Amino acid sequence: MLNEWYPVGLFSQLSKSAYKTALMGEPIEVSIAADGNAKVTSHTGRELPVRVRYGHVWSSLGAPQKELFAIPEADQPGRRFVDVGVVRVRCSPLRAVENFLDIAHFPFVHTDILGAEPHTEVQNYKVEIRDVEDEVWATQVKFYQPQAAKSASGGITTEYMYRVPAPTCSVLYKTCPPRPSEWDVITLFVQPLAEDLCDVWPWMALFDDDTSMTDLIHFQQTIFLQDRSILENQIPRLLPLDPGMEIPTRADLTSVAYRRWLKRHNYTYGAQLVAQ
Amino acid sequence: MKLYDYILSPSCYKVRLMAALTGVKLDIRPVDFHPGGEHRGPELMALNPAGSIPILEDGNLLLTESSAMLVYLAAKSAPEWLGGATADEAARVQQWLSFSHRLTASLGGARLHEMLRRPGNIATLQAQGIAALRELEAGLVEQSLCGKRFLASDRPTVADIACFPYVALAPDGGVSLDPYPAIRLWSRAVRALDAFIEMPGIHRLHELKPEPQIAPGEE
Amino acid sequence: MPARTSAGSIALWRSDSGRPAASADRCPHRGMRLSHGFVRGEALSCIYHGWSYAQAGNCLRIPAHPGLTPPETIRVATQQIEEADGVIWVAVGEPTDQPPRFDGFVPLRSLTAQAGIAAIEAAAGAKKNANGFLRQSLHSEEIGFLLVEQEPDQTLVHVFIGDNATPLNRILASRAAEALRRKAEGVQTNGISA
Repeated sequence: MLNEWYPVGLFSQLSKSAYKTALMGEPIEVSIAADGNAKVTSHTGRELPVRVRYGHVWSSLGAPQKELFAIPEADQPGRRFVDVGVVRVRCSPLRAVENFLDIAHFPFVHTDILGAEPHTEVQNYKVEIRDVEDEVWATQVKFYQPQAAKSASGGITTEYMYRVPAPTCSVLYKTCPPRPSEWDVITLFVQPLAEDLCDVWPWMALFDDDTSMTDLIHFQQTIFLQDRSILENQIPRLLPLDPGMEIPTRADLTSVAYRRWLKRHNYTYGAQLVAQ
Repeated sequence: MKLYDYILSPSCYKVRLMAALTGVKLDIRPVDFHPGGEHRGPELMALNPAGSIPILEDGNLLLTESSAMLVYLAAKSAPEWLGGATADEAARVQQWLSFSHRLTASLGGARLHEMLRRPGNIATLQAQGIAALRELEAGLVEQSLCGKRFLASDRPTVADIACFPYVALAPDGGVSLDPYPAIRLWSRAVRALDAFIEMPGIHRLHELKPEPQIAPGEE
Repeated sequence: MPARTSAGSIALWRSDSGRPAASADRCPHRGMRLSHGFVRGEALSCIYHGWSYAQAGNCLRIPAHPGLTPPETIRVATQQIEEADGVIWVAVGEPTDQPPRFDGFVPLRSLTAQAGIAAIEAAAGAKKNANGFLRQSLHSEEIGFLLVEQEPDQTLVHVFIGDNATPLNRILASRAAEALRRKAEGVQTNGISA
C-alpha cells in the first residue's frame, strides 16, 4: 500500500509553517511552498509526491502508478463542496472504510436519521469488482430513511451506489432530494497513521442551495461521530481478510467484495490474514 | 432564546439536553467550531471574548457558562430541576456543578486531543479524568446507599445534566467507563428520562422500546 | 455490562424475566463488543446491526433479513452463571461445586484498583483466604473485600459489609474501601514501605 495516494490535510488550512502528521508510521510535514503550491516532505527531508484535489492535499510514501481517482461530480457547476473536517479514530483505516460501505447498521447507529426500526431489511443489491477501473462498486442499493439529508423534508427511500477506488477511500452516491436525476456525493478519505489509528477526512459534493455550510458540516459530522464509538470497539482491531473470524450475510456483499479486493491486491496495512 | 451551538460539543449538548427535558424551545445558531474555528472569529469573540461555546442569549441576558445556562433554563421553566428543597440538596447541586468543570477540563481535554487532535498532555488529562470519575462513582454509591438515584436527590437536577455529557463521552478520549458500575446505572437513568435527547457518541437505548413491528400494509 | 473472567471478556446481562447470562463479549458478525448492546425480552442484541442472541448463545434474529432463521452456526460462547446473595458468579470451564457464600455479609459495591493482590494485602495488613476474601475491622464492623485479579497490577474488589450494618456504617465502609485502594495503589507504585 506504499504506492497509493492518501489524504494528508485540508488545502484551505495549510500555512507556511509545517503541519506535522504521519503516513503509515512515517512522520511527514505538509505546508504551502513559496509558489503557493502544497508541499509534503518526509521527516528525512525527502519531497513526496503531491496532489491537491477535492479540497484535500494528497501524498504518498512511494511512487503511485496511477493518478488519483476521478470524481466527475466534483467539476459539476452548482454543487456545493463541503470540507467536513478531520476526525481521528483509534481503529484500522480499513475498518473505517468498511463501516462506511455498510447500511444494515443505519437503524441502530444512526437512529431516526439514516434508518429506523422496523425498517431494517436490506434488499438485495448488485456488487461487482470492475476490472477496467479496478474498483469495487455496489449499485441498486435501497434503504428507507427518516432523514436522508439536510435537504430532505421527511422520510424517503434512498438509493445508493458505493464505490471503492483506493484501499482507504470510499465514495458514496445517494439520492439527491432537490434534484432527483442527480446523485449527491459523499466521500470518506482515510489517512492511515498506523495500522490501528487513522485520520478520517469526509468530503461532500452536493446539490443543496438552502442549507448553511455549517449545518451541512454538522450533519455529516453527526453521522461520522455516531460510527466512531463502534469503530473503536471492534475486535480484532485489524480487519480480518480470511474467513473464519467474522460471518457476513447477503446484506454484507459490498464488504465481502471489499475484503476480497484488498486481499487480491495485498492491501494489508490495517488487516490481519490468518484467522485466529 | 438563542443558543450558539456546536453539535459535537458536550457543553453545548448540556444546554440542548436541559432544554429538551424541560420543554424549552431553543433557537439554534450553529457555530463552525471544527474545522472552521468560528468560535474564535470576530463575530463570536465580540459576544464572548473567552472564545468558548455555548453562548446563550435571551433578550438582554448573555450567558457564557454552561452551568449558568442550565440554572437559567430550570429557573425559568422547571424549578424542580434546581434541587433547592433542602440546604443539603442545594449544597450538593453546587458541589457537583463546580465539579463538572473538572470533567470538562480532564475528560473533555482528552476527547479534544484524541478525536480532534487538539494539543494537550494526554496521559495527564486521562489520569485526571480517571480521578474525577472515581470521585463521581463514590458519590453515586453513597447516594444510592441513601436510596437516591441521582447526584443531589432521588430526582435529577441541573447537577446531573452538568456532569452527564463528558462522563458519557469519556471513551472518546480513551478513558474507559467499564470500571464504574454506579456511573453506568446513573447514566442509564439519565438516558431513560422522558424527553431525553442524544448527541453523536451517545447511543439511543434501544431496550427502552420493544421491537417494533411493521404494520400491515406498511412498506 | 462488560466483565472479565480468566477465559476472556464477557457481556454480563439480565433478561427481562430476571435471569442473568454471560455471553462472550464479541458479536461474530463484525466483532463489535456485545457489552455495548441492548436487552429486549430474553435476548441480547448487538448495537451495530441488531443481531440478537438467546441466553443459550444461539443467534435468534438478523434484522437485515427479518424472514431468515439464522443458522445454528451463528452463536456466541456462553459461560455458566450463578446468582446467590446478591453476588453473580461466572464459571470458567465446568464448575465442580457451588460458588462460595459469605455468611453474615451483604454486597456493598465493586471498585477496580490499579494494584495487585499483594499490594492490597500489604495495604490492608491482612491476607485473603482461599476464596479471595479478605476481612478487615472498621469501628467494630466487619468489612470484607473479595479480590479478583484482572491483570497482575489490577484487581477487581467487591466490597461486603455485615448484613446488619447501619446506613452510616455502609457509607463509612465505602470510604474505607476508597482509602484501602489509595493505600494499595501507593504500595503498588512505590513498593512496600516499612
